[in-house]
Amino acid sequence: MADMDQTDAIEFDRSVIGVDYDVGSHEVTEEQVTGFARAIGETNPLYLDKEAAKKGPYGVLIAPPAYYTSIRLQAGPDPQVKFGTTSFNASQHCEFYEPMRVGDTISAKEQVAHVYAKTGRTGTLVFTVRRTTYSNHHGRTVMMVESSNVRRDMGQ
Amino acid sequence: MSQVYFEDVEPGYELTPLIKEPTREQLDAFTKVWGTSTGRFVSDEAARNEGFTGVIIPGNMNMAFLAQFLTEWAGSAGKLKRLEVDFRRWVQPGDRLSCVGLVTDTGTEDGENRVILDVYIETQKGERALQGTALVLLPNKP
Repeated sequence: MADMDQTDAIEFDRSVIGVDYDVGSHEVTEEQVTGFARAIGETNPLYLDKEAAKKGPYGVLIAPPAYYTSIRLQAGPDPQVKFGTTSFNASQHCEFYEPMRVGDTISAKEQVAHVYAKTGRTGTLVFTVRRTTYSNHHGRTVMMVESSNVRRDMGQ
Repeated sequence: MSQVYFEDVEPGYELTPLIKEPTREQLDAFTKVWGTSTGRFVSDEAARNEGFTGVIIPGNMNMAFLAQFLTEWAGSAGKLKRLEVDFRRWVQPGDRLSCVGLVTDTGTEDGENRVILDVYIETQKGERALQGTALVLLPNKP
């Protein structure tokens, strides 16, 4: 049967679901912002040119939207899903509220929003959805990312 | 770069694709900034052990390409508000990636000019590496 819900049969720690954990903070530095922007091939002077950014709308270098992917945080809550031999990014949903700026201290909270299993044509897949919320040192939420990771047996 | 205005777009409007041809050097620079030093994005051997022909591009890097594509289009007076994608296929350094965007809906709500787009990254083989939707805010024509 396609897409049968198998979640009840999957072993994982249900106590972490929906609980926010502090996963640390990050200083947004010029070095990391420009390093990230160059690696992507960005050309926008607001990310790369300090002098141009000074005259821009923020008065300081800002980070490209996807800069969050380069932020190292502490490991978030682990639902300890006992399934599969390999895992991949399945999907990602970002909401951008305002840019991160050089000089910001960004703090992040993470929760495991859902764990669910599906069995379809290619076998069973177990999805873990994590929600990470990033705030700046003014206490404003700057972005939210919901990432879904899928576990499966290799060779399926 | 010229600014695109809300009045310029309607459903069916297609953005000029952004072509990305990520090199191994760019991938290495990305994983370095990311702080990843092992695994399928860094080591050909690790990637082969997982059945790939060599290192693959992280989904996060593709996500960053799409974000670049949309923010460049939106211009300095526009804003990328939401990006939502499904990762579908692996891509590797040397692949030619086209970032594609198509406006599907527009509307004004709470004083914001909202543009909804279908977005995807297609390889030179015509396969979609990731696809999803985006919300971009555009300014009114002065």
